[in-house]
Amino acid sequence: MDDNLLKILEIGVLSTSVLMILIGLYAVLTKRSLIKIVIGLSIIDGGIHLLLITLGYLKRGTAPIFSPGYEHAADKMVDPVPQALVLTAIVIGFAVTAVALSLIIRLYRHHHTLEIDEIKTLKW
Amino acid sequence: MVGTPVLLIAIPLLAAFVIPLVGMIWKELVRIIPGLVLAYMMVLSVTLLHYVSVHGTIVETIAGWSPPWGINLVFSPLTGLLASIMTILGFLVWMYSYRFKRNVDFEPAKKYFIFLMMLVASAVGMVITGDIFNMFVFIEIMGISAYTLTAFYTGRNSAEAAFKYLMMGGLASSLLLIAIAIIYSQLGTLNMADIASKISTMNPGYKITALVFFITAIGIEAEMFPLNGWAPDAYSEAPGPVGAAFAGITVKAGIYVIIRIVFTLFDVPGAYDFLLVIGLITLIVAETTALRQERLKRMLAYSSIGQMGLVVVAFGIGTVEGAYAALFLMLNHAIIKPLLFFSGSYLVFNSKEKRICEVNGLGKYMPFTSVLFALGAFAIVGLPPFAGFWSKLSVLTAAANEGLLLIISLILIVSVIEIVYYFRVVNRIFFLKYDKSTSVVPHRPRFNAVITMVTLAILILVIGFYPDAVTGLLHNASQDLMNTPEYIQNVLHGGQSLIR
Amino acid sequence: MKKFLVLLILAVLGYYMYDALYGIGIGIPRFTDGVKDFYLDKTVSQLHVANTVTSIVVNFRGFDTLGEVTVLFLAVTALGSILYKKRHDVGTRSILFSSSSIVRSGSKLLFPAIVLLGAYVFIHGHLTPGGGFQGGTIIATGFLLMLLAYENFKVSHTVLSFVESFAGILFVVIGLFGFMNGGTFLQNFLPEGALNNLFSGGVIGIIYVMVGFKVATELTGLIYTILHEKD
Repeated sequence: MDDNLLKILEIGVLSTSVLMILIGLYAVLTKRSLIKIVIGLSIIDGGIHLLLITLGYLKRGTAPIFSPGYEHAADKMVDPVPQALVLTAIVIGFAVTAVALSLIIRLYRHHHTLEIDEIKTLKW
Repeated sequence: MVGTPVLLIAIPLLAAFVIPLVGMIWKELVRIIPGLVLAYMMVLSVTLLHYVSVHGTIVETIAGWSPPWGINLVFSPLTGLLASIMTILGFLVWMYSYRFKRNVDFEPAKKYFIFLMMLVASAVGMVITGDIFNMFVFIEIMGISAYTLTAFYTGRNSAEAAFKYLMMGGLASSLLLIAIAIIYSQLGTLNMADIASKISTMNPGYKITALVFFITAIGIEAEMFPLNGWAPDAYSEAPGPVGAAFAGITVKAGIYVIIRIVFTLFDVPGAYDFLLVIGLITLIVAETTALRQERLKRMLAYSSIGQMGLVVVAFGIGTVEGAYAALFLMLNHAIIKPLLFFSGSYLVFNSKEKRICEVNGLGKYMPFTSVLFALGAFAIVGLPPFAGFWSKLSVLTAAANEGLLLIISLILIVSVIEIVYYFRVVNRIFFLKYDKSTSVVPHRPRFNAVITMVTLAILILVIGFYPDAVTGLLHNASQDLMNTPEYIQNVLHGGQSLIR
Repeated sequence: MKKFLVLLILAVLGYYMYDALYGIGIGIPRFTDGVKDFYLDKTVSQLHVANTVTSIVVNFRGFDTLGEVTVLFLAVTALGSILYKKRHDVGTRSILFSSSSIVRSGSKLLFPAIVLLGAYVFIHGHLTPGGGFQGGTIIATGFLLMLLAYENFKVSHTVLSFVESFAGILFVVIGLFGFMNGGTFLQNFLPEGALNNLFSGGVIGIIYVMVGFKVATELTGLIYTILHEKD
């Protein structure tokens, strides 16, 4: 691929990740449905994971795996640390989402609605 | 030696995996094993703290890679002190809640102790880890345990409080991850000592951005204004012992992370003043809100937030004395607030609404619990013979030495507010008449709860009459906190190697 | 009104974030003394693990992974606690449409293949892309498929929690074995083997298989608990 295309890709991925974080924040701040809020949180998480991976990217780099034939390609490999961090972060985000959904199920059981405005018994 | 710092984390994790298996054999083990583990953690951290105060900081590496490459645990006078406070309190909370919902078939009660144990273990992990991403992982473990404990009762409000907490916690972890990403992209390392030694080479713009993300994220965990909306709900909807654990353990871990980040990781000028301002706002807003509360636990929760504000103010003074005062406040708060939560939740045990006006005249029918509550109230507002007095005095001295007269006067005004709302409750308990139609039905505390509360009361009195028992530890810890070069030296260049 | 305000704030925030992140410089090496070069070097020379991400996840930063599987474990436990009901009417699912026989037989055919693929992915985690988390997730999707196709497909909670606990215990115990010979927690104590062989990397492969089992059972447990939640 030529350099211009790579540049466009880089900018595209970076702006996508920022956009995802913003979309998620927008959903969390303005949506009144519990499910949509949790979706917003997941979108923020996705954006951050994309951002982390992008930060580890190396132009014309290869995957950090020393398979046969690539034993001496260490200087061409992308940064493996963000990938490991993202792996951890994805699992944690998943676990938090699962707990959030189960709390929503609990709330739905009592209130039979998912709208925040109708649930407020405590102050928000 | 009874073990190394890593066992403070590894043993609870192992126990958490073992408990579901042995719970199938004998149900009581689900309650006993966490207690044994918490007792072991308590003994281990106190032994290690003693060792550390004699021989110097322990830096333990994991998987055989020395820092900055591997994850490392730092057990210094500061982290050791906090870990000891947390584990002791964790054990006491376990003892208090040992018979909690014991004879009913209530699924959350069987899992309660796993979460309590993991709450303590993750808070200890947050404090002793030397790696910033590892800290994030522990924050998440703590978060999930805390959300579940908040949603313990199957009533409707507890789920809502937990969801609110989860939303704030989820946002906090996202912000934290962005901050970590920025730091990694600039410095290529995640080890805190390594970051601290390289931070001066970082572009100042990114430094400020990362610091803002960090403080916002941890401000949620440490209940800083205006990010503490979740706290009163979580405290008041969670069971009483859990409220005590939040006040004594999770918030302390949050405060530790803030000070570690501001004092050690970043050398941004003006960060101390920022802490002062944010702490003062938190203090004033929380204490004035506490004055207006009608429910006992909410009042205690706001008081707890206010105390944390005071701790941050004391750290914000920025001197070793200030750090000493702040640590003293944290120690006192960790023993006094649980006593208030324990005795308070027995005072309103049979009440549905848990209102303050329902405690009228209980002093006659529950003399023991009432006296303990009054003792806690006197101690937390800082009356002379009790523990709280010395910490408040040291805050004022530290501020006076820096000439911060405005802060001294504000702290004194807020103390008056504090005295008003605590004494209002004590007044109702002892000097108003018991009224059958409005007051709660008295409830005798259980034996294990009595032991726990008496232990805490004794600790308050001991520190009150003989503060020298802890001042040595606190001095070591505060000097350890303010000495960043030594921290970097210890972690990156050997320091005290581990004995086995 | 509120939405416009939020949009405005987000636009400003987004501009600054994009500006700052673009300035970081994507795709070029930014730091010379970072930890990644050490990892890339030692994963071959000392650990004999081909996949650097695996060696970071399981060895260099193995403590994170231990915390991570604990987070998953706690989430599963939390679901059981949060969704608890006094009435014992769990166990039945509300189903709108029962699946057709094509879906049923297709799922039945695919299920062993999916589980096999998942097992392959986590057993070869140290050689090829993938590992315990990915493989475990693949296996869990197999169970999800079966649960969707057969409304009375049962997974034994006892077996799930047994496998889950056992894998977790083994992870910590392997970690504790690292203390042998004066080592540290999670340190490798087995022979490393030759690079790019199945039996290489010492304990790394074993730990990743345990993680695979754990993730598979935990995700299955999560899906199962939520699917059997009836209102």
